[in-house]
Amino acid sequence: MTAKLVITGASKAFPGVQALDDVSLTLEAGSIHALLGENGAGKSTLIKIITGVHRPDSGTVLLDGEPMQFFGPHDALAHGISAVHQERNLIPRFSVAENIMLERLPTRAGLVDYGEVREAARRFMAPLGLEIDPDIPVRNLSVARMQLVEIAKALSLDARLLVLDEPTASITPHETETLFRLLRELRDKGVAILFVSHKLDEVFELCDSVTVLRDGRNACASRSLNGLDRSDVVRLMIGRDETAVRRTERTATGEPVLALRDVATDLGHRNIDLEVRAGEIVGLYGLVGAGRTELAKAVIGAAKVTSGEVQVGGRSARIDSVATALSRYRIGYVSEDRKHEGLILMHSVRRNVAVTVWRRIARALGWLPDRAERDAVTPYIERLQVRTPSLAQPVSLLSGGNQQKVSVAKWLAAQVRVLIVDEPTVGIDIQTKVYLHELIHELAASGTAILLISSDMPEMISLADRIVVMADFEVVGELDNTRDAADMSEAIMARIHKVAEVA
Amino acid sequence: MSTKAIPGRAGPKGPTFAVLASNEVGLLLITVGAVIVFSYLAPGFDSPFNIYALTRVLAIDVVIGFSMMVVLVTGGLNLAVGAIGVSAVMVGGWAMQVAGLPIIVSALLALAFGAALGALNGILTVAMRVHSFVVTLATMSLFFGAMIVLTQAEAFNALPAEFVSLAKLKTWFFASSMLYASIVVGLLLWWLFHHTLIGRQILAAGANPSAARLSGVPVERTIVVCHGLSGALAAFAGLMLTARNGAALPSMAGQLGMDWLLPAFLAPVLGGTLLTGGTLSVAGTFLGAAMVTVLSNGLLQLQVGEFWVQAFLGVILLVAVVLDRLRAHVMAKRRVR
Amino acid sequence: MSATMHLLRTDWFGLLVAFAVGAVALGLAQPSFLSTYNLYVMLTAFSLSILIALSQMVIVAIGQLNLSVGAIGGLAAITFAGVMEVWSVPIPVAILIGLLVGVAGGTLNGVVTHVTGLNAFVVTLATLAIFKGTNIGITEAQPFYEIPDAVKSFGNARFGFFPYLLFVSGAIGIAVWVFMRRSVLGRQLLAVGGNLNAAKLSGIPVGRVVVAAHVLSGMLAAVAGMLAVARLQLGQPTIGDDWLIISFAAPVIGGAVLAGGHVSVAGTVLGVAIIMLINNALVLLNVDPYAVQLVLGALILAAVALSRFREPA
Repeated sequence: MTAKLVITGASKAFPGVQALDDVSLTLEAGSIHALLGENGAGKSTLIKIITGVHRPDSGTVLLDGEPMQFFGPHDALAHGISAVHQERNLIPRFSVAENIMLERLPTRAGLVDYGEVREAARRFMAPLGLEIDPDIPVRNLSVARMQLVEIAKALSLDARLLVLDEPTASITPHETETLFRLLRELRDKGVAILFVSHKLDEVFELCDSVTVLRDGRNACASRSLNGLDRSDVVRLMIGRDETAVRRTERTATGEPVLALRDVATDLGHRNIDLEVRAGEIVGLYGLVGAGRTELAKAVIGAAKVTSGEVQVGGRSARIDSVATALSRYRIGYVSEDRKHEGLILMHSVRRNVAVTVWRRIARALGWLPDRAERDAVTPYIERLQVRTPSLAQPVSLLSGGNQQKVSVAKWLAAQVRVLIVDEPTVGIDIQTKVYLHELIHELAASGTAILLISSDMPEMISLADRIVVMADFEVVGELDNTRDAADMSEAIMARIHKVAEVA
Repeated sequence: MSTKAIPGRAGPKGPTFAVLASNEVGLLLITVGAVIVFSYLAPGFDSPFNIYALTRVLAIDVVIGFSMMVVLVTGGLNLAVGAIGVSAVMVGGWAMQVAGLPIIVSALLALAFGAALGALNGILTVAMRVHSFVVTLATMSLFFGAMIVLTQAEAFNALPAEFVSLAKLKTWFFASSMLYASIVVGLLLWWLFHHTLIGRQILAAGANPSAARLSGVPVERTIVVCHGLSGALAAFAGLMLTARNGAALPSMAGQLGMDWLLPAFLAPVLGGTLLTGGTLSVAGTFLGAAMVTVLSNGLLQLQVGEFWVQAFLGVILLVAVVLDRLRAHVMAKRRVR
Repeated sequence: MSATMHLLRTDWFGLLVAFAVGAVALGLAQPSFLSTYNLYVMLTAFSLSILIALSQMVIVAIGQLNLSVGAIGGLAAITFAGVMEVWSVPIPVAILIGLLVGVAGGTLNGVVTHVTGLNAFVVTLATLAIFKGTNIGITEAQPFYEIPDAVKSFGNARFGFFPYLLFVSGAIGIAVWVFMRRSVLGRQLLAVGGNLNAAKLSGIPVGRVVVAAHVLSGMLAAVAGMLAVARLQLGQPTIGDDWLIISFAAPVIGGAVLAGGHVSVAGTVLGVAIIMLINNALVLLNVDPYAVQLVLGALILAAVALSRFREPA
């Protein structure tokens, strides 16, 4: 029997990056296959090749033994391939039912038959336990519901090959269970399923075989999961053993530099209490959608604090804009979204780093000579060892790791007292990751208060002194870091799940 | 436009520099080529009078182009350039003719009024958090309608002789003195955008507003500043046009001031200013206006009907943007290798 | 949700109330408002403006904009009049040719925006210049006067205050309403405007949908242009010159989201009705007719501000 999908030697390049390099994968009908790798390892690109969004520069893709020549997602759909992508792909103002049925709206006499749309949609919602009015516009739904709608949409296509990219990122454990039961049923009916998740427990619970990507290449291709354990898979993903680097125990005795007292925001946070001392690294952990990034934005004045008190250096602070946060309170924020929020990609390295100090180095009449900028920037570019041909190089042409260094460098240049670091090592190579961990540690050692937002548990456990757990825009717990990975992750997840089950 | 002629070899300053350079050099080559061709084909083209007339039109179109350019750099646009320009000179005309204020005071008043109308666009854009397209579409109608109602569509045509004579000065090579005024404006803009704090902030905010905001750049302020600057430049172009016409005419920019839109977009877009914001080229805008002025003047000298020239400019704009896309595509491909 | 709440949340209900109140007030203040002739004049202008507004609305639905609506309408108008005068083409064939002009103009806009991925703003600014330049180049700014009597009398015909022109635009309005609500292509249009990426991944042929929207826009503009010829009784080259503001004002007042994905045919039609009412009020109350421009500008701003209030970004 030929395999459902065989990819051999696929490569794909984008401006500035080789996203995939000679990647192979074999997906059998009637199996659930895990596709793993760190962010930026090439998973999304591979999925987009399978779903017809991209075409590989080289290599072959065989579907049921036939060469696959797709000219877009509609071709892939026509060949029985459907997908739940990581980014939300719903039409916000369309109803739940119409979104589910969008690929093939049933018509009568040339007109869309909404009665039938509703009926058909219900048939696909029921097995997922999605009990909502199919006429509600999806933009009125919670993130979790939207994700379930997308899953229903993908299932509705009766696909023979189903791709699920992080389908459980924002749904509850209970909903996850229902989904898994459904996926197993589909597998038993002969559907080939490609499952992407960063939750390894789920992978081991659900999948039969695994392909791991690292830096755009195969770390392993379609191996059976039998005989592999968690640490084997992690080793394949990151290219070394997973070791929470043992740091010397530090006790941060400094005064609280940043403190939130019973803070609520107009983004929906309630009763947030949080404290970061000078020289301390406080981790902020939670699932996607728990409100961590949003909290960071409220602290730096990019969203509104509606009640409670924010204290900086022991005194009550009114932070109404990022400019105030930066110039008066010396708080900086390294965004998780480098491309959209962290960097101005089309501008030079020099300008990207100098943006935080422009005001400080400007002379009379707002004159800002290039030389002043260069002098302000150079020490930090050198300290962080940013690899760039010149300071005039557009940041878009740097590697992911060097881009991240630039987005950290600008806050070093600003000499902030509090640095909020949001997912600092997503999508970057392993050396830079190690380097950035060292850097964060050094910064704390030299007295900077650091609030670290990360979904990477080993990173959290290796860096943080204390871990604050958030769920659903509230703080649900606070733990001292014992640096014991198993204990810590169990304790953290327990707190998150307790909230999720109640909700 | 011309960039296919000059393969973008990344110079020492990186590929961006090469792209910009080639864009401007290409415009210059086409313009010079067109001047040579028209000098042969159209006998009147290089007459002193025509050079004078051409440079006068050029001076005005350059500033109209700048007026749009400074808003394009924010990633927005300003449909109301014409309406603001006309409204401002009607204030200036009233100040000179009716209130009897000195020319310089009247001119400053017109510039300030233009800046205020522009700033209002900026404030509305920021406050309503919508694209400047819809705001300036509305204010184009609002400003123009108010101007017509208040002036009863009457011109101010008894302006002081000294003001009118400003436009009549000829200088070296028969060029209009107004061209030098435009060049000075261009140099000031260049300095503003490349060597000052606010200029850098504007470019950063235009390229990526979220990233700029999260780095402490007052994005909203840059938008208001740019719209205000755009209004002032529109008023300046209007003043030059008024001096040329010898009167402040409510109809000088057409219905709703829309006659200015094509030159306003042509110059910066040909000159390599991106509609997505974040980059601009002052020299490119100047050369873009030069190319357009030379081509349309030359065609008119060849007895091509004025309206076919308009259609031709439309084609040029279309071809320019398509080529620009093509170039971006080719550059991206080259980068991969 | 109660029925009242539901009504209040629609795009059209508030507008309908505003229109009714305005009409009653104007009728009380100026009884001549209700004269048959005044109503007829108002409804004639209404018939044309509906089509102009719908022509823009279908482009707004996909999240783009079309500056060349008026230029396409004008070119179709003079082509329609010109082929009848110069070549004595029979009326139905002339209508077909006029429509073809609209299709061609729309196709050019759609294909260029889609293939290049450029901002529709620049593309349609360029084609605006091309269409308008061609229009004046052909006509040398002189109208075509020799319009067949059948066209002229259709332009003037009415039942009491009800102009025949309104049959045409009313029918088209209903057709567009059904199209946007119930046809697959119409839903695809809104899907593309609502979330381009999701539409692509759902297998919607985005290119075809974008071009179709522009073609539809061009055809609606062309019909508006030809009806304008019938109403004016001549092929005036300036037809379309003053369409731009109203083409945006009506959909925006009607609750359209300029970013795409949401438009309301009923809202747009009511938007046109409100604009016509204000226009008429200014005329009847002897206010400077140019104040219409002022009011239109203010209305657009008010509508945008209101939509922000209803749905904060």
